[in-house]
Amino acid sequence: MFTNVYSRPMRSTRRRFLASSGLASAGLLVPGRSVLARIPGAREPAPSSAPPSGGHAHAALADSALLKDEKLALHALDAARKKGASFADVRLVLWRRENLGVRDDHISRISRSEEYGIGLRVIADGAWGFAATNLLDRTHVNRVVDQAIATAKVNAKLLKRPVQWAPAPAVLGTWVSPYEVDPFTVPLQEKADLLIQAARGALGVKGVRFVRAGVRVLREEKLYINSEGSRLHQMYFRLNPSLSATAVDRRRGGFASRDHEGQPMLGGWEHVAESRLIEDAPQIGADAVIKLHAASVEPGTKDVILLPSNLWLTIHESIGHPTELDRALGLEANFAGTSFITPDQTGKLQLGSERVNLVADRTQPGGLATTGWDDDGVASQRWDMVKNGRFVGWQTTRDQAGWIGEAASRGCSYGDSYGSVAFQRMPNISLQPGPEGYTTEDLINATEDGIVVSGRGSWSIDHQRYNFQFGGQFFWEVKNGRLTRPLKDVAYQANSVDFWRSCDMLGGADTYRLGASFSDGKGEPGQSNGVSHGCPPARFRVNILNTGEQE
Amino acid sequence: MSLSRTAAKRIADHVLAAAKLDEVTVECTASQDGNTRFANNEPTTTGDVARLGISVTATQYGRSATVSGNRSDKAALEALVQQAEEMAQLAPVDPEHVPLLGRQQYARVVARDRATTRLGGKERAVAVAEVLAVGDAKGLRTAGLVSHADRAYAIANKAGLFAYHASTSASLSTTFRTGDGTGSGRASSVSYRYSDLDAGGTAAVAARKAELSRNPQELAPGRYTVILEAQAVADLLGFMMWSLSTRSADEGRSYFARPAGGNRIGEKLFHDRVTIKSDPSDKAHPASPVGRGGLPLGPQTWIESGVLRSLTCGRYWAQKTGVAAVPYPSSIHMSGTDRSVDDLIAGADNAVLVTRFWYNRMVDPRSILVTGLTRDGTFHIRGGKISKSVKNFRYNESPVTLLKNVVALGKPQRVEGRFVTVVPPMVVHGFNFSSTSDAV
Repeated sequence: MFTNVYSRPMRSTRRRFLASSGLASAGLLVPGRSVLARIPGAREPAPSSAPPSGGHAHAALADSALLKDEKLALHALDAARKKGASFADVRLVLWRRENLGVRDDHISRISRSEEYGIGLRVIADGAWGFAATNLLDRTHVNRVVDQAIATAKVNAKLLKRPVQWAPAPAVLGTWVSPYEVDPFTVPLQEKADLLIQAARGALGVKGVRFVRAGVRVLREEKLYINSEGSRLHQMYFRLNPSLSATAVDRRRGGFASRDHEGQPMLGGWEHVAESRLIEDAPQIGADAVIKLHAASVEPGTKDVILLPSNLWLTIHESIGHPTELDRALGLEANFAGTSFITPDQTGKLQLGSERVNLVADRTQPGGLATTGWDDDGVASQRWDMVKNGRFVGWQTTRDQAGWIGEAASRGCSYGDSYGSVAFQRMPNISLQPGPEGYTTEDLINATEDGIVVSGRGSWSIDHQRYNFQFGGQFFWEVKNGRLTRPLKDVAYQANSVDFWRSCDMLGGADTYRLGASFSDGKGEPGQSNGVSHGCPPARFRVNILNTGEQE
Repeated sequence: MSLSRTAAKRIADHVLAAAKLDEVTVECTASQDGNTRFANNEPTTTGDVARLGISVTATQYGRSATVSGNRSDKAALEALVQQAEEMAQLAPVDPEHVPLLGRQQYARVVARDRATTRLGGKERAVAVAEVLAVGDAKGLRTAGLVSHADRAYAIANKAGLFAYHASTSASLSTTFRTGDGTGSGRASSVSYRYSDLDAGGTAAVAARKAELSRNPQELAPGRYTVILEAQAVADLLGFMMWSLSTRSADEGRSYFARPAGGNRIGEKLFHDRVTIKSDPSDKAHPASPVGRGGLPLGPQTWIESGVLRSLTCGRYWAQKTGVAAVPYPSSIHMSGTDRSVDDLIAGADNAVLVTRFWYNRMVDPRSILVTGLTRDGTFHIRGGKISKSVKNFRYNESPVTLLKNVVALGKPQRVEGRFVTVVPPMVVHGFNFSSTSDAV
């Protein structure tokens, strides 16, 4: 199945690539090429430490509304210690959210919300306790202390192994995610105009019946203080622009939707402007119509070239979740599930082909999980997860490191609001580009019979992360090194390990892009976090399904 | 008390009095939630959390904006109103804006159980201990969650609308895994009353499934007759309930679109025995009588003897097309019989018994095609008995098939779901399992 074409891919020029596709629209084949152009570092693998704070950072934090409640937070820590906590930490967390939505040619939603409160976590008699309130006064905070301590002590009686709390240095620090324009300073009218103009651009395409556009803006700010003497004040802006067009064929009774492939990002309003919703809108509309009338895919075993706008989610699901140590050890068995990887396989399991290298980090510029310190007070870092195809590293927190004999945490602790207990959440995890420097065109030219998949479609994977099935936004057939025609009804299905072992070609450093999930779910009660995954385009062998063959 | 009717009314009155614009709506949500998680046969994390949300929507000349916060002091409420009114001026006109809903009548629903509002970590630990004892006695690895909530919701506007609904909820779920990692079983118990939860009974069901599911054998993928337990039915049916939209159907982008235009209300789309309704006033399983935007929720029939009777419809689309507005429901009740799952098994030959589905995702809204996997107890049934544990399957199937290919229905029961969900176990033929998975 692998001919020598695979081992000596031919270089090709962009012009040849466009000619081979026969469509000017092939430009969108690498959608978002411009989207990330100016996010510093978003097109390069992560550095070893988080990027420096943005220039306005210290002014933003000096005016912080959280500071007036710092005394109350210290009181909570003090009271917890007096009532028997061997460790305590407190988070004051303020979220501001803004949400603008456009339906067809008009605004359908403008909303802003704010949520603020205090959460106290304790270890008492070796067990965890946590309680939280939105009411920031002594009476309610004292009640929170009592609840957290009481529950820890009663649970301690059922405990078999007390919490092992890995050491971390006490740190005083501030960090603000780098940004150019504070999104909350941009006039609403300007934001609305941008979205309406984008929506009209797609709606103007013949055959497009419905369009949605939107932007979600998040500002997270937290003051973390623990009983070991750490005090960390941090602030983040995250943005998610979106555009989607739907074409309807009333006569034949079909419809198809096409989403823009711009990605959520850690950054300022400049990211929305650079996502090129307006410029790309006519193509998004045209793609919806093309998709509606595209040829239905022939199922079978095939090569797929997954572009970064699609592959990031496959990394997330098939590598990101199974390398969460709490999952592997059964802590999430009742909900998300466990893992196909167990701690005894560390350094032994050949998870992918030799060329597969995956790095975990909370330092990637533009990465949604990027931070200065985590919610255990541990500094962000970068570490190997898969080295030359071999699984080597886990995601951990301070209460997990000891379970696998590690001395320190990897800094993966996060609680998604004042009311959520911090636990292990996913860092950015990224596939490293190949050393050959291949372009996307090189991958296509080297492929005899395959499909190029871009964008995020439907996704589903089992509770140990073996068997997955993913869709996409747009699909091109590849025959003999050429793009031949658009396809529809495509889903690819594989086993995670088979999939990664089949990886036989990677794009080079110039093709590396970040994709992201704005809301990854985990835990009970459910929590949501943002996380990014960088990758080049890459080629795999999978089982292609036709999802349109169902009744 | 998370938020009493009086306290909610006071917040609403203050907001509306502070409003300068004529069209202003205020919504409040409040909760006091508690939970204890456990895994590897011991408690892990826990939480007791108080939350509040107040949101103000202001409109002028069709320009609307919503601002939310989580403080209820007078200054904070006035700031919300002021911000919402300012933002509304800046907002572009929404041609789909509808005027405020006036005063409404709501069904009387008792959904708040006083005892459930008084729980804490101590009470949860009793239930956790009961489940852990089952796992320890059988040498199984035990994980799960006990949770409870005391919640309130209120909505009021300047046209005289005021609605308030208080509710409690409680749930216990547990997963047991065998020491060799080849078997897994899960069960759950859900009610508005904590005292209805049966920790020992739920644990016993999950433990039995874990032991029975050990060492699964591979069964070839393909189309099978399946016996879906009530939880599995709910996992798939939810996708159809969310697809029940008049507007999407009228616009031609839904399974319920009629090819020539319009929707398929009145058409016989499903098996004769399929009837699905909603009723917030159900005594055993109360749900909110207050729908989105304050629209009253009453008894509603969606599908009757296989005929599509209604679709949801927002106020704008209702006004535009001259039909009644139908809000999304707060509960689903699917009719069944009095037969147990064991009765259904006894009547089956060469079928696959499914405990639940997992990671279910819409693949194609044209056919409501969904993919996902079986989990925590999948068995081959031969001659009316469980013959063996089988490997989990990935399916690619539509809830439409589920409701067309009915062979038998069992006794409806309350299961986990986004709505208050009461559905029967079902026997269905021709269910499409597309591949197997090694996941346990």
